Amino acid sequence: MRRTHPLRSPGRRLIRSLTAVAATAGLLAAGLATLPQVAAEDAGNLYNTDVDIRMGQRYFERQCSRCHGFDAKGNDEVGAPDLTGSLRNASTDASIFNVIREGVSGTAMLPVAADVPDPTVWQLVAFINSLRYDPNSVTLEGDADSGLALFNGRAECNSCHMVDGRGGRLGPDLSRIGEDNTPEDLMLAMTNPHEQVAPRWWTLRVTGSDGIEREGFRMGEDSFGVRIMDVDENLWSFRKSEIESYERIEDSTMPSYEGRLSDDELDDLVAYLFSLRREVQPQ
Amino acid sequence: MITMKRSSIALLTSLSALSISSTLAQEDQFSTVITPAFSPITWERLVDARNEPENWLMYSGTLDSQRYSLLDQINVDNVDQLEMKWAYQIPVIDRAETVPLVVDGIMFITEAPSNVVAVDARTGREYWRYDHEMPDDLRICCGRNNRGVAILGETLFMSTLDAHLVAIDARTGNLLWDTEVARHDAGYSKTAAPLIVKDKVVTGIAGAEFGIRGFIDAYDPETGERVWRTYTIPGPGEFGNDTWSDDSWRTGGASTWITGSYDAELNQIYWGTGNPGPDWNGDVRLGDNLYSDSVLALDGDTGAIEWHFQFTPHDVHDYDAIQVPILADLEINGEQVPAMMWANRNGFYYTLNRATGQFLFGKPFASVTWAEGLDPVTGRPIRVAGMAPTYEGIMVSPPIVGATNWYSPAYSQDTELFYVTSFDGEQEFFKRDEDYEEGERFTGGGGRYTQPMDAFHSSIRAINPKTADIEWEFPIMPRSSAGITTTAGGLVLTGSADGYFFALDAESGRELWNISLGARVHAAPMTFAIDGEQFVTVASGNVVYTFGLRD
Repeated sequence: MRRTHPLRSPGRRLIRSLTAVAATAGLLAAGLATLPQVAAEDAGNLYNTDVDIRMGQRYFERQCSRCHGFDAKGNDEVGAPDLTGSLRNASTDASIFNVIREGVSGTAMLPVAADVPDPTVWQLVAFINSLRYDPNSVTLEGDADSGLALFNGRAECNSCHMVDGRGGRLGPDLSRIGEDNTPEDLMLAMTNPHEQVAPRWWTLRVTGSDGIEREGFRMGEDSFGVRIMDVDENLWSFRKSEIESYERIEDSTMPSYEGRLSDDELDDLVAYLFSLRREVQPQ
Repeated sequence: MITMKRSSIALLTSLSALSISSTLAQEDQFSTVITPAFSPITWERLVDARNEPENWLMYSGTLDSQRYSLLDQINVDNVDQLEMKWAYQIPVIDRAETVPLVVDGIMFITEAPSNVVAVDARTGREYWRYDHEMPDDLRICCGRNNRGVAILGETLFMSTLDAHLVAIDARTGNLLWDTEVARHDAGYSKTAAPLIVKDKVVTGIAGAEFGIRGFIDAYDPETGERVWRTYTIPGPGEFGNDTWSDDSWRTGGASTWITGSYDAELNQIYWGTGNPGPDWNGDVRLGDNLYSDSVLALDGDTGAIEWHFQFTPHDVHDYDAIQVPILADLEINGEQVPAMMWANRNGFYYTLNRATGQFLFGKPFASVTWAEGLDPVTGRPIRVAGMAPTYEGIMVSPPIVGATNWYSPAYSQDTELFYVTSFDGEQEFFKRDEDYEEGERFTGGGGRYTQPMDAFHSSIRAINPKTADIEWEFPIMPRSSAGITTTAGGLVLTGSADGYFFALDAESGRELWNISLGARVHAAPMTFAIDGEQFVTVASGNVVYTFGLRD
């Protein structure tokens, strides 16, 4: 079910996550007041077997996938969030249950039909939870501290990437990269960065009406304009009607680290990157 | 250049002589305190709607649905002088799909979930609002949408998400009648603006993702009583029922969730139909599945089916023929043809003879992989083998959202071109086994993108309806779900998913003007005039914006 999706646009992620923290607190407060009998406290999901998860998946594909996608990866166009990462409006089984049962007020997320029995909703909760895993259960070969030293040292990752506000601007902010990526995703992103590049990190090469060529990260590209950040970290905005031409390069600017670092060093970096998480604490 | 005779008459007939003289003596700014006072909208006015371009009297502007306005004050030479005049914020947050009507200076805007507000079209300030009372167990497929009202006399008619049709007094917002069209808890809902045909309110239904049986209805505007119902899936013993295996016709969808068109001379109503259900699993409904994914021509008085043309027989990709039929008389190969133009969600453009339903010609207007072409005689698609959804997923173009969708296309009488929003995308289609349960989703699968939206191409395409050739295209990104409007000022007005509203030269596709409105344009623009001054209105996000030339 889960697809590898290394280095998704962290700019978007960060915004989403910040709203998630605020919204979760609000929703939990609001939700607890009107909590149905079942979810009064987060006593755990009784419908959590493999069969329940499969039933939940069937229900999801049928009832929820139209907006959230068949792979539960969400749909920006309809504003349906990705359910495979950290959830915007819920962090516990009970709060997921409540979101499904009661909907999210002021959004297109409507409550599930009243005649859908609670066990079905719990199976849905089980399925949604199955899209994630407990990162603490993962044992890694590498050593995160050594990875950190490499990151800021010999591997020079920090010349392009920020973590917690320190580092470069020429690559995604990695402060929370461990949340939505498996260790396999992270390894692939370092050894084969061109595999899947988020559109934010594509390169645009713009030739102005003055004939001068400017190249930079694709901060924005729309019907009538393009916006880039060049290697000197200058932000440029162009109207398409006022430039000569532009070109889009969908490769990553990041080099592959396969061969540049030893296998052990790569493992250490994976361990460090995987530790970069900020879990939403349940109330 | 625009005379306002009609609204002057309206004022004279509806206000006392004293109040008129005092009103006229006042400053312009006070003119907006006048009570809504339009002259009643007769059927004759609706038939002749093109010739009162200061008003926008129905969803598609005119009964032929060309969305072509004779207003030319805003034109190719001055459209870059447009500025925002006012904005109206819809209180319930969703995404607006409304096409407002304007009647003698009063604008009627529909809102999510199923509300309508009347505002002064010059200022956007409210006269009244109608909030429809709604049950809490709606069954809606794709958002709390409402696309607009219809007007006849002094009454507005609106579809509601709980599958009712309501009549509202256009002067006060009072509810006149409320008719249940179908049971909302069985999966029926209503989102489209009704169409007035003579003395009846013609209206469709949504719910093909819930195993409904689609229909087109006509109601008495005075009483709300149903006059006729034509099912879009034939019952036992009727022609076409044998195109559904077993009992699958009962849950076969073929909804009618966009507004149709009408030809007064032929007395025919034209209406598109939606996908067969379940959408992506055709195994349980073998056969052509008439009249899903079709255009139906109905007798304007009885609703009897006069002809049908099915664009996508036995559809398994959700290629609804939910497009607004555009009617025009075209000279094709030296012959005058009563034509219907249709760019379909399935990726093909068609020109039909609307008198007979005969297929004239057609070809792809966007990326298509599920069919290699159309049979030159029948117009039936020639399918590519192995493109049906599978349990594992199979890549097909167009994606579920379609090469185009319900977004209104337009036609210009000046350029004789047809304009459509088109999307060259692809998606993995999945099939699932599902049993029908009343009120539950019944879709049999789904889809997913394997690339970011920005990787796909999208454009506004101008198609020559006499050849089906693409004359020009204007690239947009990532895509558009906006409708299009053309004007005698030489303009193509439309928007995009990235929140631009813009004007192109209808002749060449040249960019003339754009403004970033900040949220998806998910509706069609419309244009009107007050006291000789032309305006353009479009919804973006939750806001309805009105533009006019700089003072």
